Amino acid sequence: MTDLNYGFKKRALRWKVVVLALFIMSLILIACELCFGSVYYPVKDIIRVLLGENIDGVSYAVNNVRLPRMIGAVFSGFAFGIAGYVFQNLLHNPLASPDVIGISAGTSTAAVFLILVLNIRGGVVSLVAMVFGIVTAMAIYRLSIIKGHFTYGRMILVGIAVSALLRAITSYLLAKAAEYDVGSTMQWLSGSLNGVQMEDVPALIVVVVVLTFVLISFTRHMEIIPLGDDFAITLGINTRITYSIMIVVAVILISFATSVTGPIASVAFLSGPIASSLAGRGKSSLVPAGLVGTVLTLGADLVAFHAFPVHYPVGVVTGLLGAPYMLYLLIRMNRRGVN
Amino acid sequence: MGKHILEARSLVAGYDGNAIIKGLDLTIPEGKISVIIGSNGCGKSTLLKTFCRLNKVMSGNIYLDNKPVSEYDPKEISKIIGLMPQSPLVPEGISVYDLISRGRFPYRKLFRGMDTNDFGAIDEAMETMGIIELRDRTVDELSGGQRQRVWIALALAQQTDILFLDEPTTFLDISYQVEILDLLGELNRSKKTTIVMVLHDINLSVRYADYIFALKSGNLYAEGNPESIISEKLIKDVYGLDCTVITDPTSNTPMIVPIGKYHKE
Repeated sequence: MTDLNYGFKKRALRWKVVVLALFIMSLILIACELCFGSVYYPVKDIIRVLLGENIDGVSYAVNNVRLPRMIGAVFSGFAFGIAGYVFQNLLHNPLASPDVIGISAGTSTAAVFLILVLNIRGGVVSLVAMVFGIVTAMAIYRLSIIKGHFTYGRMILVGIAVSALLRAITSYLLAKAAEYDVGSTMQWLSGSLNGVQMEDVPALIVVVVVLTFVLISFTRHMEIIPLGDDFAITLGINTRITYSIMIVVAVILISFATSVTGPIASVAFLSGPIASSLAGRGKSSLVPAGLVGTVLTLGADLVAFHAFPVHYPVGVVTGLLGAPYMLYLLIRMNRRGVN
Repeated sequence: MGKHILEARSLVAGYDGNAIIKGLDLTIPEGKISVIIGSNGCGKSTLLKTFCRLNKVMSGNIYLDNKPVSEYDPKEISKIIGLMPQSPLVPEGISVYDLISRGRFPYRKLFRGMDTNDFGAIDEAMETMGIIELRDRTVDELSGGQRQRVWIALALAQQTDILFLDEPTTFLDISYQVEILDLLGELNRSKKTTIVMVLHDINLSVRYADYIFALKSGNLYAEGNPESIISEKLIKDVYGLDCTVITDPTSNTPMIVPIGKYHKE
């Protein structure tokens, strides 16, 4: 007789293979992102520049344009991917990603208000945006409690409404603002890798790496959460503390990544479900979701840059991918009902 | 496996500031099957949930080995008290084996995979519930009765001395109801697991219970072994139902036969 855990081990192996494949795919896309731009540079030139050599023309383009752009895509994509997965996991619903339920809209509105109305720039903007993202999450949660009862389905609907409201406020602020200010707010509004500067890069890397490890320490919890709160508590999870930490960390990731690249549309929304269907549902898809986020962002950026006569920002392509999936989820939910 | 004393002392509990359990004192008989009975809204589920820390205690407390449960580390309690909730969520696309493995959560360490103890506990839980053949199927495609056995197996993989079940037979055909209760009876005999459950069917409760707690509007109306407490008066007082109590011909336990409006003499 074969071991009873044969199937389990096979599924665990599939998870590892998928993670490895996504990792290799990321590396290939990273190489493409560095080699292809307005001009093509061969890999060996890129490597020489990265090792510190100075090659006329190549050095400037790589160090000042392509490298920050690539790192921005890799780490923001990863951050959107895992943050989206955390929300979908906590709220038991693929629709519940931060870009759908208003968390991203909350950070954007706060940032736009600071830049346009209060004339504040720099790191303070990201910090306030982050706090406002957490406040938005709390407000959506509070508004979803009617007569002492909270449901996840209601929280998603409330989130979609809050999201619409916040977008309206942002549009109003933009309409009232002086034209020359609007440019610097654009990165809070549409996802683009064009504006990523080398000085943004170190902080982005540190935040994403540290918070990823925090979330990885909760992967076993994320396997229990989909069973519902009753099982979570019985199995020894302090739900209040665990959920709060997870939400705060996810919001910080979202707002930080947004402050560098803008809210790259649908990456948070798509990564988790794609990762789960690739890696299986036996283990938490946190890390696969992050890698899918990276692959999606890099891939979409290459498509946006090279597939059309005009260089579109990356958010246009990812947004196009998100729409049909949203439609599919809504149709399916209509058939099966919301929990 | 140690023996544990689980008790409620002057317990008041409920939702949103409304007390549903109104001052209960009771001790769960150790190593036995206890069933909590009572009419809808009497607080059976609330009591069970409060024992499992799903509900806030308003006053009084739940004590495990003479120490309030609130003073324990949740992980420690989760190795002693398990629960099969009334309507657990079925995660999409998960296989039976993987779902049962979730019951090992209290024993697992950060950044470490499952070890031989974990695999052993899962195998044993599947064997006890007779679902080894189903292990690589996805839970969504199982029948109600099979699914219920998977949930109980998850709770068994947790290897607790005390197991609570909130209406484990609801939505099941009578044959599956008896099958689940038989399995729980075997579990209690072979492992000496203390089982506490809420059941709707009084006759099945009486047949499988060593001990019965009858609740009436948040208070303990009666407790004891079924033979000594089930009477026409108890059913009338607790459920407001006229009945005749006869002896169950197959198990020799009391059996109630409801009378109803059109069958009075």
